[in-house]
Amino acid sequence: MTEVRLTVNGEEHVLDAPIGASLASILRERIGLTGTKIACNEGHCGACTVQIDGTPTLSCITLAHSVRGEVTTIEGLRDHPLVAAFVRADAVQCGFCTPGQVVSAAALVAANPDPTVEEIRHSMAGNICRCGTYPRIEEAILHWRD
Amino acid sequence: MARLIRTEKEVEGRFETVWIVVEEDPLEQWPAGPRDVVGRPAARKDAAERVRGEARFTADIRLPGMLHTAVLRSPHAHARANKIDLAPALALPGVRGALGPGEVMGFEAEAGYAGAPVAAVAADTFGQAHAALAAIAVEWEQLEAVLDPEEAVERKLFAADPVHYERGDFERALAEADVVVEGTYRTSVVVHNSMETHQSVCEWVGDTLTVYTSTQYVWGVRDEVAEALAIPADKVRVVCEYMGGGFGSKNSAGEFTFAAAELARRTGRPVRCALTRREENTAAGNRNATIQKLTVGARSDGTIVALGGEYVLALGWGGWSTQTEGPLKMLYACDNVRTDRYAVKLNMPPMKAFRAPGFVEGTFGLECLIDELAVQLDIDPLELRRMNYAGSNDGTPFSSKNLMDCYELAEKHWERRHEVRARSDATWKRGVGMASQVWFGGGGPPSYAWVRVGSDGRAQVVTAMQDIGTGTRTAMAQIAAEELGLPLDRVEVSLGDTSRGPYATLSAGSSTTPSMGPAVRAAAADARRQIIEIAAQRHELEERVINVQHGLAISSDGNLAQPIEELLENVQILGKGARGPNPTGMSVLTFGVQVAEVAVDVETGEVRVERVAAVHDVGRIINTLGAQSQVEGGVIQGIGHTLSEVRLLDPETGRTLTTSLDAYRMPTIADVPEIVCEFVDKPDEHLTNLGSKGLGEPPIIPIAAAIANAIRDATGADVHELPISREEMLRALEAAQRKEPRGAPAAV
Amino acid sequence: MELLRPSSVDELDGGVFVHGGTEVVPLMRDGLLAARTLVDIRDVVPSGVRGRTIGAGTTLAELEADGTIPDALREACRLAASPQLRSMSSLGGNLLQSTRCWYWRLQYPCRLHGGDRCHAREGEHREHAIFANDFCASAHPSDPAAALLALGTRVRTNLRELDLGDLYQLPTQKRREIVTLERGELILELELPAVEASVYLKAMDRQRWAFPQVGVAAAKAGGETRIALAGVAPIPWLLGSLEDATPLPRTAWKVDVAQALVRRALAQLG
Repeated sequence: MTEVRLTVNGEEHVLDAPIGASLASILRERIGLTGTKIACNEGHCGACTVQIDGTPTLSCITLAHSVRGEVTTIEGLRDHPLVAAFVRADAVQCGFCTPGQVVSAAALVAANPDPTVEEIRHSMAGNICRCGTYPRIEEAILHWRD
Repeated sequence: MARLIRTEKEVEGRFETVWIVVEEDPLEQWPAGPRDVVGRPAARKDAAERVRGEARFTADIRLPGMLHTAVLRSPHAHARANKIDLAPALALPGVRGALGPGEVMGFEAEAGYAGAPVAAVAADTFGQAHAALAAIAVEWEQLEAVLDPEEAVERKLFAADPVHYERGDFERALAEADVVVEGTYRTSVVVHNSMETHQSVCEWVGDTLTVYTSTQYVWGVRDEVAEALAIPADKVRVVCEYMGGGFGSKNSAGEFTFAAAELARRTGRPVRCALTRREENTAAGNRNATIQKLTVGARSDGTIVALGGEYVLALGWGGWSTQTEGPLKMLYACDNVRTDRYAVKLNMPPMKAFRAPGFVEGTFGLECLIDELAVQLDIDPLELRRMNYAGSNDGTPFSSKNLMDCYELAEKHWERRHEVRARSDATWKRGVGMASQVWFGGGGPPSYAWVRVGSDGRAQVVTAMQDIGTGTRTAMAQIAAEELGLPLDRVEVSLGDTSRGPYATLSAGSSTTPSMGPAVRAAAADARRQIIEIAAQRHELEERVINVQHGLAISSDGNLAQPIEELLENVQILGKGARGPNPTGMSVLTFGVQVAEVAVDVETGEVRVERVAAVHDVGRIINTLGAQSQVEGGVIQGIGHTLSEVRLLDPETGRTLTTSLDAYRMPTIADVPEIVCEFVDKPDEHLTNLGSKGLGEPPIIPIAAAIANAIRDATGADVHELPISREEMLRALEAAQRKEPRGAPAAV
Repeated sequence: MELLRPSSVDELDGGVFVHGGTEVVPLMRDGLLAARTLVDIRDVVPSGVRGRTIGAGTTLAELEADGTIPDALREACRLAASPQLRSMSSLGGNLLQSTRCWYWRLQYPCRLHGGDRCHAREGEHREHAIFANDFCASAHPSDPAAALLALGTRVRTNLRELDLGDLYQLPTQKRREIVTLERGELILELELPAVEASVYLKAMDRQRWAFPQVGVAAAKAGGETRIALAGVAPIPWLLGSLEDATPLPRTAWKVDVAQALVRRALAQLG
């Protein structure tokens, strides 16, 4: 067990965990932030996406002890206008992939507040949605400020 | 007043006769067209919590002292675990319990496929449980493994009795036909891969078991678990308020639930058993592969006179034999039909219902065949479909059928083909194709609902149903709001808990809206009647002059306009409703047609779907926003099985090779075409107090054939296999070239 | 397991190097890589682009966004992986990634695992190699590696300088690894020569987030054109001639795709 310090959504957490523990498992099991979902646990689907210093990152394959920077999870984005935009656009069905979608989308609009359809598709391609809400997600991002 | 009746109930195309108790259902349907709430776009009631990550899925359940389970699975395609010693595993740190073959349903000593569950270990952490699997000593006796479906047919290794169907005289009609087209079509195994894997958390408190599970059927799980454990059903509480996708794979409890329940009983601690993504791809069920040998005979004027098919379903180790020949039997008017269906048992993972099981596969074969017939006859494909319109289901009238309306709405999309083809160039050939579909979706009884109206003038629908992501929660709220004359934001729905609310049907087979909806409306109507009775008594008016609208009790002369929270004071109203029977002697079916525009890179075999128009007839639409999402989702999921998804096994060992999502490739947002959705939106006047049918499955059914037909339009190439990989596309292009060397693109 | 964080090359002393972790972490989880000591090299390996020198720690996302680097490399990065993975993975790590061959990943006792068979050759090989596939039919999955190979890149490690092509070798009976780095050797920088034009074309079976079925990189420098392919051989493949392809029964289609993409790449180069 080794100490790991994480700043998550502006709050600092200090805890002991074995080297090899993923950031996703620490967020979910130790800090109690279950908004970040694990769907594949090997970096293929994007459900576990969090931001580290604003960069979309797959927390399931990120070693908790190697995190450098501030972590933002879906819980830290609960008041982001994208949330209302996703609701308006019906960009959610089962909802399991949705937190990861919002985190990726928030990073996109932070860097590029008026993305084109092409830019949205390119930047969101790492977030798999089995229910197929993609057209609604695209609409939510296009109109996130409405 | 309660009545006991016998009626037919259909789920996923399977029919059974049931006896049920129903309340009288005297409600008349609402006239067609958007109402105050129903028939309008409504944001999902639970969207915000899902979007924010606040919704608690089974994967998020954390109970104090909870153990984690790892499952030992057979490495062999067919083997018997003759000796299994769990003791070394139990001795490892953190391991608290274990079970072996035969101790729990679903864990067998005879493993019928690579990945079949054989034993399970529960430990403090998943890592400890997983590590303990290696310590379990197993003596495997390998048995013969059969992996080839055609070999299995020859050897008569049937999973179910072969099904033969005929009407008329197929052979004679075929002999008399002017044109005969034959083709062999193949579809591959595809896997549901819901984002939340199959999982349950079980906790005993005394002799009562609570099961948190990711499921499409809380009541079904309750009954299955109770039976498996030999305890009364009301000692089992099943909870599933949010679940991360099912698509048919989560219709029953699953061996992971039985394992968690048993390990929880043995250890005295709550136990989670969750499949990993690798296990999802290996052992959680799939749509079976098919080989379809189809024949159509027609007169030169386009009348279809004979339809025949031989279907081989490579079922795997379990599952059921789906009516893959259904579309061929039902979609067109044809007096002479003959089909034979063989479902073979193979040493590979079992089939599980997957969004319109059988009909997705069968529609691909049929609608490609019909299109090839259109080419042979030199008849427009839309015209050919219209000409052979079925006015009844083999003699049984339809409760409603508006497929002709769908064809009419599809005309303008089909008309685009000239302009689409004209945008072809040397590399990219463009074309348009269509496919129509038939499916079930009438739902059926039993389903029950309660509607509480509180003295705050707000209503709550209470029923033990599920919302698996399809938006049924919102649709039920809309129905109750409409009937109660309340704004939508004053109606909530309580669901997903068998200890809270009456029995509700499973969410599969496009059955939730047509099954639950009428029960909810009946319950709301019962509550409304009581509100009107109270208003009548309080204001000394006759009931017939009172109505409830916009949250007010109003009289027809306008003198009374009282907010119902004032009217009700300290009273809570409880309305009860039940789903009535389906119309007898009628086929309750859904219909649709999809028109796809594709571009094919004829040198590299790349296929891009550029636009899909989806036109569906599913009776009255409750939530126009949610309905559109369902159609888009079904089309996109269908594009997956058409172009890039395939489950592969190692031919030698029978083990799954595509175990991870980099290998099993589902569509991303970058793969989505423009999707245009249209609904006929005509209530089925014979079906319940709503006239609504289900929409979950229809949209996935015709898309593969529409794409294949568009490819034919663009390139002249016939693709007969799903997925349409580059390899298959290049093969088809080459075959087309050999048949008829292509010169310049067709003149427009 | 322990995690070390050296701050300079001199402090390196064994262990498994990890940068973004996108390769190492999944391999460890699957038991394909055993590590008792992880060495975080983010403070050791240079990052960023200076002229034609690229620090091996530069992420694919940074390269995707950098207009000064050659088109082939930029496009290879743009079309590689997923957005998250591009932000997380270093160029150096990407060059060293393992094959996606399902037999290797599922630990069949194949040649790359020290065994005496190539299960893909006799089994399911539709995504596998069309060149040099006799001993091992795995396909190399890196888009940037093909681009850098076509560009004629030089690699500087903590021990030597070498052509990118020499970073790889086909697996043989004697040596089953495809990477020639010695134990403790670390890629530090990549040096790109000047090129007049370059292009990268990729065939994959969904529009984004897929490994190359066939990736074609072409670069023109000093009147000479070099072509390198991804997804067609156990290592990034400098193309001699497609006539030399030795496709397996179910990889013949890749030859057709490669032919088309090579033709197009050359046409784009002008």
